[in-house]
Amino acid sequence: MDRITSIAKTILTEAKKLGADYAQCTVSESEKKEFNVDGGQFSLMRTLFNRNVVITVLKEQRKGTVQINRFEEEALKAAVTDAIAASDSGKPDPAWEFAEGPADESFEEGAPECDADRLFLRTKELLETIRERHPKILMEQMITEHDAAKTVFMSTSDVCYRTRSGCYSFGLMYSAHEGEKSTSFYGSDVTVKTLDRPVIECALIERELAAVEQQLDPMPLEGKFVGPAILAPMALGEIVIGTILGNFVSDMSLIDGVSIWKDKLGKEVADPAFSLSFRPLSEDVVIGSHYTGEGYRAEDFDLIRDGKLTSFFLSQYGANKIGGTRAGNQSGNIIVAPGVESLEQIISGIDRGILVMRFSGGQPAPSGEFSGVAKNSFLIENGKIAGALSETMISGCVPDMLMQIRGISSDLLKDGNVSIPYIAFDGLTISGK
Amino acid sequence: MLQDLLNEQKCLFTPGVHTELRGQNNRNRRVVLLSGDVMANVRSDVSGVSARVYRGGVWGFSSMAEYTKEAAATVLKAASENADFMERHAGNGKPPLAPITGGQPFVMEDFHDPAQKVYVDFAREVDAYIAAHCPKLTSRKVLATEDSMEKLLKVSDGMDAHILSPRSYIYVFLTAETPAGAPVELFKAFGGSGTFDVNFTDPAALYDGIDKLYEQLMQKREGVYADAGEKTVILGGMMTGMLSHEAVGHTVEADLVLGGSVAAHNLNKQVASDLVTLTDFAHTAFGEPCPLPVFVDDEGTEAKDVTLIRNGILTGYMNSRESAQHFGMEPGGNARAWMFSDEPLIRMRNTAVHPGKDKLDDMIASIDDGYYLIDSGNGQADTTGEFMFGVTMGYEIKGGKLGKALLDTTISGVAFDMLKTVDMVSDSVFWCSSGFCGKKQPMPVGMGGPALRCRVKIGGR
Repeated sequence: MDRITSIAKTILTEAKKLGADYAQCTVSESEKKEFNVDGGQFSLMRTLFNRNVVITVLKEQRKGTVQINRFEEEALKAAVTDAIAASDSGKPDPAWEFAEGPADESFEEGAPECDADRLFLRTKELLETIRERHPKILMEQMITEHDAAKTVFMSTSDVCYRTRSGCYSFGLMYSAHEGEKSTSFYGSDVTVKTLDRPVIECALIERELAAVEQQLDPMPLEGKFVGPAILAPMALGEIVIGTILGNFVSDMSLIDGVSIWKDKLGKEVADPAFSLSFRPLSEDVVIGSHYTGEGYRAEDFDLIRDGKLTSFFLSQYGANKIGGTRAGNQSGNIIVAPGVESLEQIISGIDRGILVMRFSGGQPAPSGEFSGVAKNSFLIENGKIAGALSETMISGCVPDMLMQIRGISSDLLKDGNVSIPYIAFDGLTISGK
Repeated sequence: MLQDLLNEQKCLFTPGVHTELRGQNNRNRRVVLLSGDVMANVRSDVSGVSARVYRGGVWGFSSMAEYTKEAAATVLKAASENADFMERHAGNGKPPLAPITGGQPFVMEDFHDPAQKVYVDFAREVDAYIAAHCPKLTSRKVLATEDSMEKLLKVSDGMDAHILSPRSYIYVFLTAETPAGAPVELFKAFGGSGTFDVNFTDPAALYDGIDKLYEQLMQKREGVYADAGEKTVILGGMMTGMLSHEAVGHTVEADLVLGGSVAAHNLNKQVASDLVTLTDFAHTAFGEPCPLPVFVDDEGTEAKDVTLIRNGILTGYMNSRESAQHFGMEPGGNARAWMFSDEPLIRMRNTAVHPGKDKLDDMIASIDDGYYLIDSGNGQADTTGEFMFGVTMGYEIKGGKLGKALLDTTISGVAFDMLKTVDMVSDSVFWCSSGFCGKKQPMPVGMGGPALRCRVKIGGR
């Protein structure tokens, strides 16, 4: 930590010397240990020793940013010179603003030390357990890793944060096979602090493996109907939360005025049962960022509370551009409030609809309209899963969907980064052959 | 330019053990103007060295963010230790990799690095033109970018190489509103292989393309929803490129074949109409340089064209040296890595359907009720061959004539079913290269092809 702190000080001193009004830098050293499985077989072990330096300077309200991965003094000074040159080429913008100190904090999170032998054994155990319990599953690729990092964020405004962190991550990509039959691929991921539990017990991994195994004999959906769709956590993230963030509440869409929610602050945008928060400091999050890219201390916040839009997802820059308020953090640690019904209870209330585990769709339009393929999906008939579906498309409009929520599950995907339920929406167009 | 610090480290390679040592620098330049404001003004240079060792059918890899002889020695040692660990605990007894042809070290010419001001000034001129000539926009965004790779490769057998892969683009995003007040957007990428100052000497060279984009956006804001269902369509060259890459290309990457893709059961079988021939080109296609030429890959294999489908028959896979040995095929130079810290993966290079003999106008005239789909924002495919593309620009075809523009929609299908419905192929090829292919790592790729008449499922409202 002393070494990267010293490097950060060198950078800031050089930036002031070259005329920066403000400078900040993030300096990190990290190490990754990783095992790869391809086609169901161990294939590769990697050890990566990485460094990263990101320098941002502000000169006469013109901003320049440079990233390098070298620590030699000559390279650092050249990077600062490049950042100043980049800012000189820019255009003044009074909206640039960064955190003012004093702030000096240290954080330690997760498991900074790697137990590589145990990581290998947990990986081997996971592969063997899947072979035993889910023999039709072929692991196309599995990547298991430990990431450890030491990071210093420092600015000329007397702000300094030091973080030492580490975590284990498991990423599985798989499909089911029987003879020449195969299913769509599906991915399960989890991040954990310790290796105390078998990985198959974490997140929704076991449930998702079992569901994919049941998709080997999909049936085409005949015709087209408008009806309910239950979006599993991954599909909910792709369709609904991705659209909210990408199109309605973030800097870009609000600054250029194309967000259809630009005048919705404090107003109802969803069913009262729907609440969406960003909580990097939650116990459900293994490693959450304690500060924002602009140097502000991170705070958990609600974007939508009981159906009302309570905040935008703005940086300080974005807030200054539109006369708004900076959001508490800029993390991806999404927390959607659970409901009281189980997934099975929600399914039991649907006469005809679908359960969508994954979505493969085009970029949603700025209006929130989308269409795409409902992947790894099941038909629901008479309150029960009636079988897996092939080649089924769904389309809808996210703002309309949010007003047509018919159920939120108490079942949650908790993968170490997010906490997301299943949600059933009315009014989607579902079409087959 | 990377100095050759690695040649003398080859003496550290273990005799008889396949070893790769790679020094690499990735540079990225990026300027983003949003309605005239400089939202991003970023330069990035990331460099280091990596080593990979193959032993007992498994690999060890290590990388370090430092390009020195000492770092090279460190990663060689760590990669070797990782290979030993894997062989001990998970080795599968596969034989060593078959030797490949060496050759003269492959060296490309120097490339230069324009100052950040060059990007900012060019983007500003383009932005000023849009502001002055596109009055009905609600917002505009201009991105000026370069992302370039430089690699210095040493291999225990094969071709040592010094590889330079510069590419640069201007992206223009235009947004307007429908009469009902809903935003609609279109974007266009200009540029290709080459540094920014070579590709972009005069902003005026982009103005015709911007005018056309604005005209299409004005049509789209009055556009209609596609009628959902299976339709006869003409896929423009851009869409054919997406099909070549997403719907077929990924399923015939040998690592995904081993992972259970649909192509595993279809080699030497009819998977498309006999009008369809599909090749992953290395550096030259149809007598012209490819959009993103590749001459040697990161395993030291000389890059050659790989024919994937010939006259409708699936004829081959794209391979690494290891997978080529497994399938008894010849490696064609498809193993490529994105950063110094990445291991080579099987990746496409420039994947395209070959042109046919039909004229686009005749193809449009042949359809009574269908769509002409021109541009795509993104696409995804499954290992089953099921694919999905977003369609950002297209038109109705009614009575053999183009009708109204379409609002955003999606098409989907199963590649080896859909390709059998191709019954007309146009005589000209369109290429694009501005995106990244996503696998474990990103990778710049080229994709292209002629217009195809076929049946696909289209999403409606």
